[in-house]
Amino acid sequence: MNVIGSLYFYVCAAVAIAGAIATVTARNPIRGAVSLLVMVVSIAGLFLALSAEFLAAIQLIVYAGAIVVLFLFVIMILGESSSSVHDKKRIVSRTLAAALLGAVSLGAIVLVVGVSTPLQAPRIRAGFGGIDAIGRALFSDWVVPFELSSALLMVAVLGAVAIAKGDIKRPLESAATTPGSASEEQP
Amino acid sequence: MLSTYAPMFMIIAIATLIAGLFYTFATVLGPKNPTPEKMMPFECGSDSVGSRGVKLSVKFYLTAILFVVFDIEAVFVYPWAIQFRQLGWFGLASMIGFLSVVAIALVYVWRKGALEWES
Amino acid sequence: MLLMFALSPFLVLGGGALLLMLAEVFSRRPSGLAIGTTIVFITSGAFSVALWLYGIEFLPVGILSPWILVDKFTLFFNVLLCLGGALASLLAGGYLVEYKLNRGEFYSILLFATFGGMMLASAGDFLTLFLGLETMSLGAYALTAFRRASPRSAEGALKYFLLGSFAAAIMLYGIALVYGATGSTDLARVGAAFSHGVVTSHPMALIGLVLIVIGLLFKVSAVPFHMWTPDAYEGAPTPATAYMAVVVKSAAFAMMLRVLLTSFGDAESMSWSAGWPPALAAIAVLTMTVANLIAGRQDSVKRMLAYSSIAHAGYLLVGVVVALRSKEQAAAGVIFYLATYTVSTIGAFGALILLGSYGKEAVSYDDLAGVGKRHPAIAMAFSLFLFSLAGVPPTAGFFGKWFIFRAAMDSGFYWLTILAFINSVIGAYYYLRVLVFMYMREPQPGAAIAVPMQSRHVKAALLLSAVFVLALGLAPTCTLDAAIAAATTFRM
Repeated sequence: MNVIGSLYFYVCAAVAIAGAIATVTARNPIRGAVSLLVMVVSIAGLFLALSAEFLAAIQLIVYAGAIVVLFLFVIMILGESSSSVHDKKRIVSRTLAAALLGAVSLGAIVLVVGVSTPLQAPRIRAGFGGIDAIGRALFSDWVVPFELSSALLMVAVLGAVAIAKGDIKRPLESAATTPGSASEEQP
Repeated sequence: MLSTYAPMFMIIAIATLIAGLFYTFATVLGPKNPTPEKMMPFECGSDSVGSRGVKLSVKFYLTAILFVVFDIEAVFVYPWAIQFRQLGWFGLASMIGFLSVVAIALVYVWRKGALEWES
Repeated sequence: MLLMFALSPFLVLGGGALLLMLAEVFSRRPSGLAIGTTIVFITSGAFSVALWLYGIEFLPVGILSPWILVDKFTLFFNVLLCLGGALASLLAGGYLVEYKLNRGEFYSILLFATFGGMMLASAGDFLTLFLGLETMSLGAYALTAFRRASPRSAEGALKYFLLGSFAAAIMLYGIALVYGATGSTDLARVGAAFSHGVVTSHPMALIGLVLIVIGLLFKVSAVPFHMWTPDAYEGAPTPATAYMAVVVKSAAFAMMLRVLLTSFGDAESMSWSAGWPPALAAIAVLTMTVANLIAGRQDSVKRMLAYSSIAHAGYLLVGVVVALRSKEQAAAGVIFYLATYTVSTIGAFGALILLGSYGKEAVSYDDLAGVGKRHPAIAMAFSLFLFSLAGVPPTAGFFGKWFIFRAAMDSGFYWLTILAFINSVIGAYYYLRVLVFMYMREPQPGAAIAVPMQSRHVKAALLLSAVFVLALGLAPTCTLDAAIAAATTFRM
């Protein structure tokens, strides 16, 4: 079990990293979104290994089911002009900066893992991470943040309505600078 | 823990295997003799014009984003529904508090006409 | 019942916002939303004052801990954020009508974003802290994008949103690392773990600290994490700019004080040799200097005010660094400065709004030429707010700077004080430049001149801010005492 367990972890982790790399390097944004899907699904697999079953299911329903679909949607809306990245400006300096940042982060992580005393994984009870346990926790100790999260959802709804609903009146400044470009009329 | 899900992983593996086999056989065994006509995009016999990207209305986007928000709200309802009896009145009150806020959001969106297609 | 009373600022704000939303969508011709929003803000602020006077020690707030800490620090910030929100909604009441942007969502977002800000100021746990941060930030992104047809607005909002989400992700990663090392998200328990040397046994806590501090610096728009600020502030409708410069920044500083002083406030993390104060001091100097130098070169007054708000973040960071010697003095200085900054900045943006009207907006310095003769009252109010921002006595801004600089001197940061002082002199240059244009220049013949809008809302907001600026300048004692009382939250 232990060997299978670590094998499972490494496979999921490797797929997740591969998916993440593919997401940022893909030329075609649709491929990028699908790579993101791969990453999201393997993260759900990792949640499963941590016995966070409910979280794994939610990850699949919300992220894989709704958010990636929303991304694909946006890519479709923006259409042709957005579907390939041609930005080659300062590609060398940008690559160097990214490599430097990556190397520093990796170095820090290796250093930290090297000197840290290993973390003791807490022993968990049966049913931990299941829907029952989540329900009990959410409505006892965590009820305050749960209620407060409704404000976040409300702001999200309001923001969506404010940005995407209602008539567009063209202000003066846009008429002066770029005539006829309203937010829905992206080329 | 993972052993509980062994059947699920087996199904995934078998499904991937079967799909992969069909795909491989189709690509390897299928006869291929491409001609320029065959490689052209097919659009009801006429030549295709314009760009591939279809300009969609921002309404799709609004609907999609509202869906995600209410989807997340539904996620909170699952664990409450499962534990409904054990949580008792306190759970009910908390859920009513949460849902009434979200319900007001729904009413607001509705009255604003964000769910209407024609406007 | 007492618990309801303890939560009343939150309940009033949230409930009032919901009622206003329902009123807006069910009434035939929604009007008076600006006034309604202002009343909700003022009521919430009044409940905070009532709680302060009643005495929080008599309230059963323990069961809310650590999610929501109702202490004097929270209450002071509740009042401050509500004041900022109320003035911003008054400004919006004039601006949105004038520029034909009058849609009710603006006020609802204003209310809920402030709700998020209050969550942020009162959060005693990283979980509620992050919830509050996101609630406030999402609102701010939406407000920035509110002028939908303007490409500027869209550009600013997109930059703000992308960089803001990135910073939130960095901060969340830091929180995860700290949680991994300490086993808790409760700020106080994280602080206990840090003072018991969690950094030596689990150095990843240190990386977590660094990432969290980066997230915090982004949210207060310190250099070099300020790139989004000028574009977002310029693209947003001016009342939203004022709101972001004031409420969002105050709440972010509240979060910064709470996190740094509670969780990372042990002797080791706060030492000059191995802690965060030297990094913060360097960033404070960088922020002041860069922002002041760029602000002096702007043509647009709105953009100048955006850079000026970055520079003020620099002075405030100087105040935070003082925590090295005395947490209470640092917190008191920052809190009081935020109060003076709030009223002066809202006033300055308000004057800019009032000076322009649809099609004849006041944006650049040239638009302001000769305003002093044509509209002496508005020009005088504008001058008052600019003097306050520059720190000229007897305005509010003078005492704000005075207390921070004195705290820095008391703690032995002479070089930091001198640099901050030099910077405020540079700052005075571009504030006075506005005065020069208003009083000593005549508009070019044939050039478009800004025509003031007619709005009682904006005038009321200006009048209120002017009263506050003068009151804080002439009689700062009362507010200062309150700030010192609020800072006792961080007494060891």
